[in-house]
Amino acid sequence: MAWPRLSQRGPLLSRFSHHHVVVFLLTFFSYSLLHASRKTFSNVKVSISKQWTPSAENTSYELPEEIWSSNYLFPSAEEATLFLGTLDTIFLFSYAVGLFISGIVGDRLNLRWVLSFGMCSSAVVVFVFGTLTEWLRLYSTALYCCLWIANGLLQSTGWPCVVAVMGNWFGKAGRGVIFGLWSACASVGNILGACLASSVLQYGYEYAFLVTAAVQFAGGIIIFFGLLVSPEEIGLPGIEVEANPEEDSHRPLMSGADSEDEYEPNYSIQEGSTHQAAQAKAISFQQACCLPGVIPYSLAYACLKLVNYSFFFWLPFYLSNNFGWKEAEADKLSIWYDVGGIIGGTLQGFISDVLQKRSPVLALSLLLAIGSLVGYSHSPNDKSINVLLMTITGFFIGGPSNMISSAISADLGRQELVQGSSEALATVTGIVDGTGSIGAAVGQYLVSLIQDHLGWMWVFYFFILMPPGSRCYHNANRTSLVDPTSMSGSPASPDPCPTRER
Amino acid sequence: MASRGPGGLWSLLPWAVALLLAVEMALALPEICIQCPGSVQKLSEVARYCKQTPNLTLQARCCLNQKGTILGLDLQNCSLKDPGPNFTQADTAVIIDLQANPLQDDLANTFHGFTQLQTLVLPQESRCPGGIEAWYTVTYYKDTQTCQGQRNLCNSTRHPGTCPENGSCAPNGPGLLKCVCADGFHGYKCMRQSSFPLLMFFGILGSTTLSISALLWGTQRRKAKAA
Repeated sequence: MAWPRLSQRGPLLSRFSHHHVVVFLLTFFSYSLLHASRKTFSNVKVSISKQWTPSAENTSYELPEEIWSSNYLFPSAEEATLFLGTLDTIFLFSYAVGLFISGIVGDRLNLRWVLSFGMCSSAVVVFVFGTLTEWLRLYSTALYCCLWIANGLLQSTGWPCVVAVMGNWFGKAGRGVIFGLWSACASVGNILGACLASSVLQYGYEYAFLVTAAVQFAGGIIIFFGLLVSPEEIGLPGIEVEANPEEDSHRPLMSGADSEDEYEPNYSIQEGSTHQAAQAKAISFQQACCLPGVIPYSLAYACLKLVNYSFFFWLPFYLSNNFGWKEAEADKLSIWYDVGGIIGGTLQGFISDVLQKRSPVLALSLLLAIGSLVGYSHSPNDKSINVLLMTITGFFIGGPSNMISSAISADLGRQELVQGSSEALATVTGIVDGTGSIGAAVGQYLVSLIQDHLGWMWVFYFFILMPPGSRCYHNANRTSLVDPTSMSGSPASPDPCPTRER
Repeated sequence: MASRGPGGLWSLLPWAVALLLAVEMALALPEICIQCPGSVQKLSEVARYCKQTPNLTLQARCCLNQKGTILGLDLQNCSLKDPGPNFTQADTAVIIDLQANPLQDDLANTFHGFTQLQTLVLPQESRCPGGIEAWYTVTYYKDTQTCQGQRNLCNSTRHPGTCPENGSCAPNGPGLLKCVCADGFHGYKCMRQSSFPLLMFFGILGSTTLSISALLWGTQRRKAKAA
């Protein structure tokens, strides 16, 4: 354990061993790979819809059938595109349902097994979906739907597990900035998926699926052999139990709100280690829902993820549709929204670490999100101004969204009420992200509906409604219950970890 | 038969094989070669071509190579109003003789796919398929005419057509054009280029996975306690 001595650049860094670094990287890349395979699907859509349809070209030359028109899954590319959109929605819904389930499963079984199984099995499903059906020329809409539902369910094991593992290793102090940085994994996955897909697309779309599936499968194997789900696994002491001595006055209110017998109001940290074995029982779904903050933050996240995913799915389309920019260029420009989200998540996480409260940062960011949305909806047809406004919007929408889904989920899952046992973390993360994904799925449908009937401006009015909605739930949370996401100034626990120096 | 036992059945096998082979030989001759009675006229163009080129044999109305591919077809004096549905069997032919037949239909689509055809002998009243511009030389005789040497019309300005993405023009019989995959492209709609290096990809991925797994197991999980 001489490693931490090597990196004594700051109080934050010096507390981390090489185990922390490996855990950070493994969880980061395992979720990146899961997201990469989703991005691959959206990047090969054009090739797939060509593969599924006969050639519609009108020419005086003869087009031999076996080359140009032997596939009749859909009569035209438009209908194929419509079906691909349906697959997106199916995926989001099964992903949302899966999140609720896999969080619960993750807390009861070994997180490493669940994550590794999820990655490998979803890789196999992606392989069957994209590669095997093409090799066997087995084009069938029913089969595609079934496989994509299975993929959504299996992919959903990823997020709750990685957040739970991260929550086990990284304590509350500094969690904001670390999780902010870490939640870039989705965006990195998008870039990775886009690169993988575009580099092998010339061999045929089936190889884009083959490559992402194979890499994801390899990731699952590496996770199985390399991931330590918590410091306790190798005999290191766990991170400090998260207490809120500042807010002790709120305690009776909370204890009254949900009279759960299992919780000891007078629980003290010193008892923590002796209680750990007894408390390792996983929390039930209902108990997790009743934890303070879980439902309000879930609903707040649903509103935010709706806007966030709408940007993810529709921004390139909006740019090429509304401003007439080229599709490839619009694809590239839309990366700036992600960049804004990463910077926003990290910076806001850092500020919340310094303030030791996450709520004010979130509240202010959501207020400014309204302004940025109004600004972006009036963006002139100028690429640099649009990109700037897009980055700002990403900063104020993607930032808080990243923060809720990672740092705040971890705060909620490791709050004092759960008594330091990790067995609530995956369940809580699953609930927050699952609710968010339902919001996102409904949003995808509503955006296409509103855009079709009322135009893009109304889509933005709809978006603008979301941050206040999100704040509403967020405020409800702050006034009625203790906020588990605000932190104690000085940890009351005697630091048991020998590698840490404070 | 059953009373003979397995030994009896085995002894029958060579006979059965021989019979099957004989049937196959007879069937191997395409219908187009035998649907008109008689054989190739001794002095016809087809007969001359067949004798000039080594390894070709005359059978019924056809000139075949050793694999049984039709290279020449002599259907003169068969009272054909049209070449009939079996005619496409001869789309590998280099030389075809249709003289002295009361051909009625326009022949434009009859020779669809006859890309090898170099010499076509027709009755006087027929027109060369694809028109004069589809052939290098058209020679008129007393009762017949000969269309010789198919032109590739892909680069001709008289056919301003385009192929879909990654497609390119190719001849498809006299006066006919089709779109095939451009050089280097293959697969449905010619969307694919070269072949994926499967072995290399899985070799690199497999060895990388193995080494990272071993490294991480050694540094991370080796000391882990069983759950």
